Amino acid sequence: MTAFRFAAAAGLALTLLAGSAYAEPVTLTWWQMEQPPQRVKRIQELLDQFNKEHPDIQVKQEPQSWGDVYAKAPAAFAAGNGPDLLNSIPDFTTVIKKIGAVVPVDDLVKDLDAKHHFIKATLAPYQYDGHTWAVPAYNMALSMWYRKSMLKEAGLAVPKTWSEWKTAAQKLSGNGKYGIGLPANKQLYTDQTVYSFMVNDGAADIYNDDGSFRFDNPKTVAAYQTYADLQKLSPPDSPSWTWGEAEACFNSKGCGMVLQFTVISSYNAQAEGDAADLGVAAVPHADDEPQSATISYSNGIMITTKDKAKEKAAKVFLSWLLEPEHYGRFLNMEPGLFLPVTEDGAKADSFWNDPVTTKYKTQVETMIENSKAGKLFGFTTGKVFPSIGAISAQNVIAETLQHIVVDGQSAADAVKAGQARMTGIAGK
Amino acid sequence: MKNTALALVFVAPALLFLLAVLGWPLVQALVFSFQDIGIIGSKGHFVGFANYAEVLGGKHFWFAFGRSVVWVVGNAVVQTVLALGTALILNQKFPGLRVARVWVILTWIVPTVVVVIIWRWLLSTSGGMINPLLMESGIIDRPVGFFATRRSAMVTLILINSWRWFPFTALMMLAGLTRIPGDLYEAARIDGAGARRRFTRITWPLLQPTLIVLGIIGTLLSFNVFDVIWLMTAGGPSEATETLPVLIYETAFKGYRLSEAATISVLTSIILMGFAVFATRAMTASEANR
Repeated sequence: MTAFRFAAAAGLALTLLAGSAYAEPVTLTWWQMEQPPQRVKRIQELLDQFNKEHPDIQVKQEPQSWGDVYAKAPAAFAAGNGPDLLNSIPDFTTVIKKIGAVVPVDDLVKDLDAKHHFIKATLAPYQYDGHTWAVPAYNMALSMWYRKSMLKEAGLAVPKTWSEWKTAAQKLSGNGKYGIGLPANKQLYTDQTVYSFMVNDGAADIYNDDGSFRFDNPKTVAAYQTYADLQKLSPPDSPSWTWGEAEACFNSKGCGMVLQFTVISSYNAQAEGDAADLGVAAVPHADDEPQSATISYSNGIMITTKDKAKEKAAKVFLSWLLEPEHYGRFLNMEPGLFLPVTEDGAKADSFWNDPVTTKYKTQVETMIENSKAGKLFGFTTGKVFPSIGAISAQNVIAETLQHIVVDGQSAADAVKAGQARMTGIAGK
Repeated sequence: MKNTALALVFVAPALLFLLAVLGWPLVQALVFSFQDIGIIGSKGHFVGFANYAEVLGGKHFWFAFGRSVVWVVGNAVVQTVLALGTALILNQKFPGLRVARVWVILTWIVPTVVVVIIWRWLLSTSGGMINPLLMESGIIDRPVGFFATRRSAMVTLILINSWRWFPFTALMMLAGLTRIPGDLYEAARIDGAGARRRFTRITWPLLQPTLIVLGIIGTLLSFNVFDVIWLMTAGGPSEATETLPVLIYETAFKGYRLSEAATISVLTSIILMGFAVFATRAMTASEANR
């Protein structure tokens, strides 16, 4: 009997050993939209480390572009070839949620929040319909960038209100220079800059609680009017600008002030690189508003697999990534651009040890501070309506500005048409 | 009969391949156009001709069609002038002719993305070369935004696209020119015909078949251009350069209305097929009358 028991135990042990020895690791495919080579390289370094530390899980990245993924991801899920992890911004999450490809991450986010303390503004855009749909991974918030020496030379203080901003932009204009560089392209960058005016005039909400629109209101009209007035002080090709042109204008000293998530990397490499002269401040607010706010994009990572083993492995990976010793290195895949979404991440040595982040420490600290007052159109009321995906993708906010800047409409007429356009999109 | 059967056997693989890569997507687009699919990959229901009624009854399709016509005609005129001039020069004998013939096709072989980056930079007011050049020449007194107004955006795009494509047209024309017998020019010269007369009486008429074929192919190619427009202006400013291909992309992948986009695709295909059939018949009739 003893021999039988021994044989059975040995058999079981051998089976388990064989099982573990030959078990295939769980392989996760991660579609991330950070394509520049240095970002892909940094992510790969982190993946290599994770895969080495977790032989039972293998994560492989497949870099995608934001331009393609809106079409590519739904098609891939429909064909059964979708990724297991998918980077997201809030409006993209609504698209993936609509086709039923995303898995709620309520418990995971609750655990991570208890451990790392998410900055509330970064989590809010992913929490609706009773669930959390993505794990916030990094944040980007629009700030106003300027050169301290240029303002000093013109006898200007850093503008805090719209009146001061207009005065500053006018004073900095002349001799072939433009006081400010504001885009008017029908593109995401313009959505962002225009919305940063809206949030600074108390017009952050574009939806009512019932899903109807409140875009057409005097505050929004005033925000558009101010934007259009300042835009006249921008270079003549600014109606076709994306982020790159604005950054180039700032770096070449052609533009006195610009609104950007960051200019640190290009300013450091292509312009003076003088950290003491690079100024960053909150986007100025309307004269009757008490303080500044901004637009912020909390980038998240969605779990998009229904396979339980993969889901579990994905949670292990995301938890690992947000550990402070790894997280700072992840954020510094582009130093001075990606901001932490957790409180311990904002203090992590791995974040502040990067030479560029160290050099521009005061600027990065200001960016983090600005990001705390970040909002995103369509995700401000705690209720999210599916039409925001199409409204965002079709750049209706930027399109409304073009009616003023390019077509010469009044701000009131353009905003009214903008609301009609949003209503039309929501009705389809 | 035997020959016909053999020919069919040889042609069959190519026909089947075409059917798979062209016919199947067209059939799919047709099926989608009768449904109400939103996001690509989601399910839809049969809605009959509702999409056609909406597309044809709205202004977007017709405005985009109008812009496509402007785009095609503009490209045809600019490219024909540039290409004809280039082909006539390259048809002469001069030192360095071979180098010139290779050199001229460079703009055509440069990838679209590179073309876009080059032109965006050249036209930029932050370090671009065109504005300073025009200002120094006294043509403008301050920098201009080439994509900032409706009219200048379309004109600039047409010029850039023509710059990219005219070498292809020029080579086709050059091939047509080399087929014109030299003794015709010789005889005309002996009869005292000047350069202008030789062009209008010999070159132009004998180049007609080439021009007609190029007109058909060029129209179809120009009509379907998407990459340059999308990368340069994305249809802006204020929809000024939103041609039908751009509208199809916007509707499908930014508006998430796949069925509506399929409907516009089907209508565009019908327009282009109609044009191709009409133009081919006109060409055949013209050749028969010659």
